[in-house]
Amino acid sequence: MNTALSRANSLFAFSLSVMAALTFGCFITTAFKERVVPVQLHVSRVMLKNVDDFTGPRERSDLGFITFDITADLQPIFDWNVKQLFLYLSAEYSTKSNALNQVVLWDKIVLRGDQSKLSLKDMKSKYFFFDDGNGLKGNHNITLTLSWNVVPNAGILPLITGSGYASVPFPDTYETTKSY
Amino acid sequence: MWDVFSSIPTQMDYKGQKLAEQIFQGIILVSAVIGFIYGYIIEQFGWTVYIVMAGFALSCLLTLPPWPLYRRHPLKWLHVQDSGAGDDKRQVDKKSKKHK
Repeated sequence: MNTALSRANSLFAFSLSVMAALTFGCFITTAFKERVVPVQLHVSRVMLKNVDDFTGPRERSDLGFITFDITADLQPIFDWNVKQLFLYLSAEYSTKSNALNQVVLWDKIVLRGDQSKLSLKDMKSKYFFFDDGNGLKGNHNITLTLSWNVVPNAGILPLITGSGYASVPFPDTYETTKSY
Repeated sequence: MWDVFSSIPTQMDYKGQKLAEQIFQGIILVSAVIGFIYGYIIEQFGWTVYIVMAGFALSCLLTLPPWPLYRRHPLKWLHVQDSGAGDDKRQVDKKSKKHK
């Protein structure tokens, strides 16, 4: 504390300690918060094809196409420890070969300050809905859920599944691919 | 170049050092409390950080330079003793003792 440099040193160290304590406070004020919000999912169109899956087992596999609506108010999730949300729509179903299949169909990043009331109509999936066999055909219990990662300023990275789901029956027949 | 900087007196006396430490700790703690409450209310942790940084800047300004406030209690040194023939004599005495 005798010279200006030693005072600068202790001042800086003290400020950093205080900042670390504040960051911990920011974490602890939001650590036990419930971040589940209701989500309305609605599926407007389902199409099923049987195509060559060149990435997988080299056989014809089931490929589903889903058009869906999402309505959710994400505003209650945001607080001072949330930078962004990573939303993803996943389909879960069971087949003869696997008790649980999970496929991510679509995702979206919602930044702090973005429009947090989602009202998306007639969305097409971003990623292919491939089964690793023929498990989609005639599968009447395919559940769509919307989940999200909460990206915080400090602390843990919670993974939340929204309440509300859509159950999708897939048709018993394949759509024929037309070529012109 | 460095000599120019090191020749600037930046020392504080002991009471001044204690006062400076109390002042910067007080300013930073108060700004931390204000920033935490304000950031919590407006839900922007960034503002908490900015307010603490403002407190840091203010306490840098107040406590880094050796303001006269911190130099009001200088140490009282003993007066310089008369040095002269008597001193020499003592040294001579010591030397002669050692030689014995």
